[in-house]
Amino acid sequence: MFNFIDKSLKSLAEIVGANYVQWETSKKNGLFQRLNPRLKLVFFIFNILLISIKKDVSSEAFLFLIMFIFITVSRLDLFRIYKKILFAGFFFGFLVALPSSLNIITDGEIVLHLARLDGARQFWIYRIPAEIGITREGLSGVAMLCLRVMNSVSVSLLIIFTTPFYDLMKSLKTFRVPDSFIMIVLLSYKYIFILSKTIEDFYLALKSRLIGNVKGSEIRDIIAGRTFLVFKKSTAAYEEVYRAMVARGFSGSVSFYLTDRITAADLALFAAVMAPGIIISAL
Amino acid sequence: MHIPDGYLSPQTYIPFYALFAGFLAAALKKIRSVLSAQTIPYLGMASAFSFLIMMFNVPIPGATTGHAVGAGLIAILLGPWSAVIAVSVALIIQALIFGDGGITAIGANCFNMGVVIPFVSYWSFRFIKGKTREGRRVIAAAFAAGYIGLNVAALLTAVEFGIQPLIASEAGRPLYAPYGLSVAVPAMALEHLLLFGIIEGLVTAVILKFFLISDPASIHAMKEE
Repeated sequence: MFNFIDKSLKSLAEIVGANYVQWETSKKNGLFQRLNPRLKLVFFIFNILLISIKKDVSSEAFLFLIMFIFITVSRLDLFRIYKKILFAGFFFGFLVALPSSLNIITDGEIVLHLARLDGARQFWIYRIPAEIGITREGLSGVAMLCLRVMNSVSVSLLIIFTTPFYDLMKSLKTFRVPDSFIMIVLLSYKYIFILSKTIEDFYLALKSRLIGNVKGSEIRDIIAGRTFLVFKKSTAAYEEVYRAMVARGFSGSVSFYLTDRITAADLALFAAVMAPGIIISAL
Repeated sequence: MHIPDGYLSPQTYIPFYALFAGFLAAALKKIRSVLSAQTIPYLGMASAFSFLIMMFNVPIPGATTGHAVGAGLIAILLGPWSAVIAVSVALIIQALIFGDGGITAIGANCFNMGVVIPFVSYWSFRFIKGKTREGRRVIAAAFAAGYIGLNVAALLTAVEFGIQPLIASEAGRPLYAPYGLSVAVPAMALEHLLLFGIIEGLVTAVILKFFLISDPASIHAMKEE
């Protein structure tokens, strides 16, 4: 009956937990933590594009291995990271795509026969062939999607867990993302953590008060009321922050200055981490 | 609804990045012309609210729980242009921190949920409620706004998936999302028409009902008459 409370509390705990873990792992003494955030963003964009344009399973498998090495030498929690990577690969890459390996979806050479009908059937726009089975082309597509999903998550988590969120957003300036937009994201990120506490308190209070059978409609009304409260608190917080910003000389425009210098050591490290991707892109 | 990495080809996600960037720039310009110096803190708050609205799990008839995408509700409360930025920023934070939705798919996800839902929901709400300012018709309009907005976005997402085998295959092998339009569209449409759309509509209506009772003046879609 009240599992919506636990679900909501779990979601909120994940927000706070993700922030804490990211802050902690980005301070570790690992390979990617040492790389300049701007260069890291170039590495990230290059590799995410490379993963999305490679068309052969062997390149994707090699990239998976490279990302595993980078994650390991960055001293990240392998269990935590690979739990996410393998879940994404299994769910979005394997489970969702598996039916596409059948010749009903992907035509090709059948490598595993599953059923035989007395003849091909046509249902509206769908054609069911007489021989149903898994095709080589379909399997290759599933493997490709699975590896591509896992590689994309791997490179994203490698950057997310080795870079403080503030540095990550500020480095977007290198790619001409407007300062005002970066500021909106950073402010929003801060508001989220402040307001998460309000919502957590609300759900805990609700959990301690609910007992017995309560109508779903009554709970929905309570939650609607709390959503309104969060809206009002958000508005109040924005007005306070705006007044504080004006008091400090804010006139509407924001400029970030990239104070971190890119040294020769940064460039050498950058060249080293980029090398495997450049080699794969050339193959 | 969040498209993960690996499902869209570059010839799909790059144009969506460009399209989304255009809407983002237009939204920033539009809001800046109204709010001036308050734009940044206001949109920061709106984005946080948009993010947090997804945290509210609500009991749904049938002994289950659900949460809304909230983009339609945000558009009704804050206006469609504010919602473009608020929902998009929330989606970007979700992708960067929680891995909900792919990085390459940010443009497409922000366009589907951050642009399409706000505008479709907002104008559906305005059209259905007509001149009415209270009562069942306004609540029905809120339900319809949530329902229609989500379903239109789901249809668009399905089309984005469904065109992948047509535009990015190699020797009969799909390179990205493997299902064609004949599979992707019915699969996405059915689950959204019969389940997720109803949840979205219900949550939008329940929350808006409270706003209508407590502070109707704070609802953007009720102000512009």
